[in-house]
Amino acid sequence: MLSFLPVLLLNALIACALGSSDYDEKLLLRPLPQDTLLASFNFRSNESAAAFEQQNFRFFPRSLGQILQHARAKELHLRFSVGRWDAENWGQRPWNGAREGGTGVELWAWVEADNEAESFAQWLTLTNALSGLFCASLNFIDATKTIRPVMSFSPEGDHSNSSNLHLLHGTLPHEVVCTENLTPFLKLLPCKGKAGISSLLDGHKLFDASFQTMAIDVRPVCEEGGASCSVEMEQTVDMVLDIARSKRPRDNPIPRPLPIEQIECDTSKGYNAHDTCYPLNKGTEPAWTLEEVFGRPLKGGCPLVDDVGDDANTVCINTPPERTLQVNTTEQYFETRLVYDTLRCYKLPTGADFDLVLPEQQMKTGLIRAEPPLFAARSINGHGQERGSTQAIIRNPSTTEAVEIVYLESLPWFMKPYLHTLRARIDTTPESPIKETYYRPAVDRQRGTHLELRLVIPPSSTLTLTYDFEKAILRYTEYPPDANRGFDVAPAVIRLLSPPPGDRKGIYVRTTSLLLPLPTPDFSMPYNVIILTSTVMALGFGNIFNLLVRRFVGVDEVPIGAGGLKGVLQGKLMRLKTVFGKT
Amino acid sequence: MALISSILALRRDARIQKIPPYLSAFCIIVGIAWLLVLPLNEYSRKTYVSENALLPGQVHTYFTGSEHNVFRAYRHEVDALSGTSVEERTRRLAEIFRSQNLKVATQKYNYHVSNRTIANENVYAILQGPRADATEAIVLIGAWKNMADEVNTSGVALVLTLARYFKRWSLWSKDIIFLVSGDSTSGPQAWVDAYHDGHDERYVESLKIKSGALQGAVAVDYPAGPWGHRYDKLHVVYDGVNGQLPNLDLFNTAVQVAGGQMGVGAVIQRMWKHTDTYQERLTTMLRGMVSQGMGHATGPHSSFIPYHVDAITLVTVGDGWHDEMTLGRIIESLFRSLNNLLEHLHQSFFFYLLLQANRFVSIGTYLPSAMLIAVSFSITSIALWVKSGRPSEPTANFASTNPESKAASHPIPSPSTSESVEDDSTPAKPSESEEPPTAEETQKPADPPVLIHTPSGSLSLLPAPSLKITERHLLFPLLSVLLSHLLGLLPLYLFNTWPAPSLPPLYLTAANLTTLLPLAIAYFLVLEAPPTPQQTTLVQCFSLLLLGMCLAGLATLNFSLSFLVGVCTAPLNFVHKARSKGGNVAQLAGLMLVNPLVVVQVGTQLLGGRMEEVLVKAAEGWVVWGLWTQVVVWVVWFPAWVCGAVVVAVGVLE
Repeated sequence: MLSFLPVLLLNALIACALGSSDYDEKLLLRPLPQDTLLASFNFRSNESAAAFEQQNFRFFPRSLGQILQHARAKELHLRFSVGRWDAENWGQRPWNGAREGGTGVELWAWVEADNEAESFAQWLTLTNALSGLFCASLNFIDATKTIRPVMSFSPEGDHSNSSNLHLLHGTLPHEVVCTENLTPFLKLLPCKGKAGISSLLDGHKLFDASFQTMAIDVRPVCEEGGASCSVEMEQTVDMVLDIARSKRPRDNPIPRPLPIEQIECDTSKGYNAHDTCYPLNKGTEPAWTLEEVFGRPLKGGCPLVDDVGDDANTVCINTPPERTLQVNTTEQYFETRLVYDTLRCYKLPTGADFDLVLPEQQMKTGLIRAEPPLFAARSINGHGQERGSTQAIIRNPSTTEAVEIVYLESLPWFMKPYLHTLRARIDTTPESPIKETYYRPAVDRQRGTHLELRLVIPPSSTLTLTYDFEKAILRYTEYPPDANRGFDVAPAVIRLLSPPPGDRKGIYVRTTSLLLPLPTPDFSMPYNVIILTSTVMALGFGNIFNLLVRRFVGVDEVPIGAGGLKGVLQGKLMRLKTVFGKT
Repeated sequence: MALISSILALRRDARIQKIPPYLSAFCIIVGIAWLLVLPLNEYSRKTYVSENALLPGQVHTYFTGSEHNVFRAYRHEVDALSGTSVEERTRRLAEIFRSQNLKVATQKYNYHVSNRTIANENVYAILQGPRADATEAIVLIGAWKNMADEVNTSGVALVLTLARYFKRWSLWSKDIIFLVSGDSTSGPQAWVDAYHDGHDERYVESLKIKSGALQGAVAVDYPAGPWGHRYDKLHVVYDGVNGQLPNLDLFNTAVQVAGGQMGVGAVIQRMWKHTDTYQERLTTMLRGMVSQGMGHATGPHSSFIPYHVDAITLVTVGDGWHDEMTLGRIIESLFRSLNNLLEHLHQSFFFYLLLQANRFVSIGTYLPSAMLIAVSFSITSIALWVKSGRPSEPTANFASTNPESKAASHPIPSPSTSESVEDDSTPAKPSESEEPPTAEETQKPADPPVLIHTPSGSLSLLPAPSLKITERHLLFPLLSVLLSHLLGLLPLYLFNTWPAPSLPPLYLTAANLTTLLPLAIAYFLVLEAPPTPQQTTLVQCFSLLLLGMCLAGLATLNFSLSFLVGVCTAPLNFVHKARSKGGNVAQLAGLMLVNPLVVVQVGTQLLGGRMEEVLVKAAEGWVVWGLWTQVVVWVVWFPAWVCGAVVVAVGVLE
């Protein structure tokens, strides 16, 4: 059996060094169960408020700074996420969920404006500009996808005049995050992915991760008393890599079955034979190196990082002390051991490749993973074209503490919830957990539903939140090209109010997004309609044309001549006569 | 205008009344003949994959090598579990799934049907697609026991091995759910009901973990023991509950992957040898229709289809040289294709009849067949309605210049005006409502036969009977038709609630009682209130009208059931109260043969089934699967037959 060592909240430890230098970057590696590896990249740059106002940018990217100034956005949070965090196996989320977003793209910002209309105009400016900067469809965040949360978010920065700040929040759950979003993200960094830990960020591995989220956070930070203020930009990438999958070479990524010699068989089984093998889990920590897992070498430290103090320790790895770890570099590096040796940090050499080599190892000790404060799952129930119901199950695993949460739903207008069917049940007590409700109903094609609930979940209880909804029928031009896929519903955002978070970032949990199947017309129908209409038109046209052009002659007007051939000939002759007679 | 008026004039033509029986017969004959020409090349099409995203058989499959060793080990494991308890089996299967780093959950279910208990446990594991966002999922099912109640040893082992193998791939865009259900019918039903939250929590446990919207399901049935069995062909089973079918694209993909990529022939509807002759195509189609018409679950996939989740079962058949790895690679390729889907399967047909694995008839081609049969009932009922409004004595054709008819209607003009016509009809009404119209109508020839009508100075000659208004008395016919339909609810209730051992005796009793029922009703009627000819005509009219409407509606939902019931009830079009007693007796004898219960029993024997089993399965279907076939039999077919038989029986007893 593994024995477990206690571990402090490392996220807080790593990120607490605030505003001490102009630029620093950190990489925290933490092996997770099931042969996975969490890599948390954090880049932080500061610019003094005065320099920022004068557009005198040093580490702060000019492209983003000018957009923020133009849109008068004082605080900005942008998230790109793929995959889901497996809380049961991996434990607590990195940064307590404060640096992650729902699947797709999520953006919220505090915009300075005199009134709501103006703030919305600024917001549109912001989304359109960011859309161009990050190659994402952020410009599709329109009024129907924008909400103004009241309880779920509070500003992280220090705002002097917060009265005319407006919080706007928009999500694009269907947006597929990919390499095209990573490239502009890296360009914002001072070392541009050429040196420092950002040189590890490779699109192939980043987007092959089981979970990855990229975050950009801009906020004003003031010292005590508001003497000197600065604008801080934090860029965060969290990814959970499957080590076996990441180690596959890029030119041969197919997981072919291993040769039988490389599989460990359970020889205690009676049927074990040369052709029969019950596979055993080795129970060892897998071997990996930075270069293998990230597909690229770490090209030394970024020269812009201060090389003294705590900030200089750029790469940290969180493993039990017994884990063998070898550093592979040609230049000099420094190792620091922290927190009972469970955290080993390295100061990177500049200009030389740096690699960590971990061999395969049978472990005797392990690390205690911090238990997540909440488990949340949400799903759509029911079937059919007309109605459905949503069910969210939120579990409080703590045996002693009750948690107070804010549950935020931002639903598209075509999913119409019935608020009277909203039920929140707790399995341990009949008391209603809903303390406060904020609800802004949807208006067709104008805005979506905005629902915020403040809930209290007693210790070791499960909250089941359900509500029914009706599916609207869209106009046929409103369907996307892949209409039969269904429509994505943004993840619910859960913010923990108590126990109080240690910092101003807060504790967040997001559910997965939902796929809402709507009644879809048969799109081959328009062609049938076109064909039918054309036939009717042709028939109508034919008749009317016939009536207009045909000469109608009374029966008595027809000369009573002989019929047959003779009559025809006589008629022809008569006509010839009239023709020639006139000329 | 002229055309319309001439058609309107035809309405009153006595000859028109003679046409409907022939028209009905024509519809039925054409309807059946239509079905018989469907297997011809001109009326059927070769199947094709309509959804571009599927790309069947376009991927390399890598399920070989050491996976085979693992498979053999899992097969031994599964085989060792075949004698153990449900709890032990569940625990061990969950353990294997858990060792593969999958999320595992179990679900107990406990149904009470016909006083017996169907209790078992499902185990399922979710492979979370590495980059998926839990919005979509596909299901791989290995039922613990197959439809023949054999332990699905190799099938379950294959599901376990594939779960381990699929876990290594990073390309899954959807979650994959591996489901080992306790049995082949109720287990998947319990699971899929709970997945959509449509379950009754008293009998079925809720699911602890869920994934996104289900996009497709594939079940494996490979009951080979621990030492394996090499099979010859793949039997693709596709019928869902209530005759619903999966999207043809899914079926085509499976056939194409098996045949085109792996060289395993696909067969359908237990046609092990299909040499593509007309007769074999027809047999395949008819087997498919019988299966669809019965609407029962044909495999673990059947329960998924009512939830709009396209599903099929792959069953290995025969002795050949294909092994389990080939089946594994077929499933791998099929799942890669399903993984490609960007939208829910919607491109191809949902309504089709398959003639062989690569030939089908689409709904546009086959639907007229059942519709024509349904229309034949409507035609008869309209004819009966017209007939019920006419005097029972044949009137002369007033437009006729035939001297005979003139002689019959006494062409002597008797002076009368338009007022006199009204005088004639108005006092007639109360008398009609009091006494049966037959008495009134038989007196008619004594009335002044011809009236002169002078609306605008010009004279017109009209035979008096044509101006006579015959009132229809609707209460009795409507009530009796309604009652007969309500009567059907009684056996529906009894057959679905009685304990299993008493079902066969109940059936025997019901068969005997229903045979005597028309005679009993007729005897009672004749004794108490002998129905007039108009009443019997109207009873038949409403009954057939309802039958025609129901069958036409049903044809769009379950073509086969509508067609089969239509053919079995076709004689009801032609029975009527004959003038001679012998005719009535002969008709009644014929109707006794098409008694729904007799037809069901004979059909069961012809298809080689056992009646007890059919009854138990039907009750299970009603309670667990939500089967509607019994409703059609007892509330549509049976009442129509009772009405027809009572009409004839009245003729016998009068």
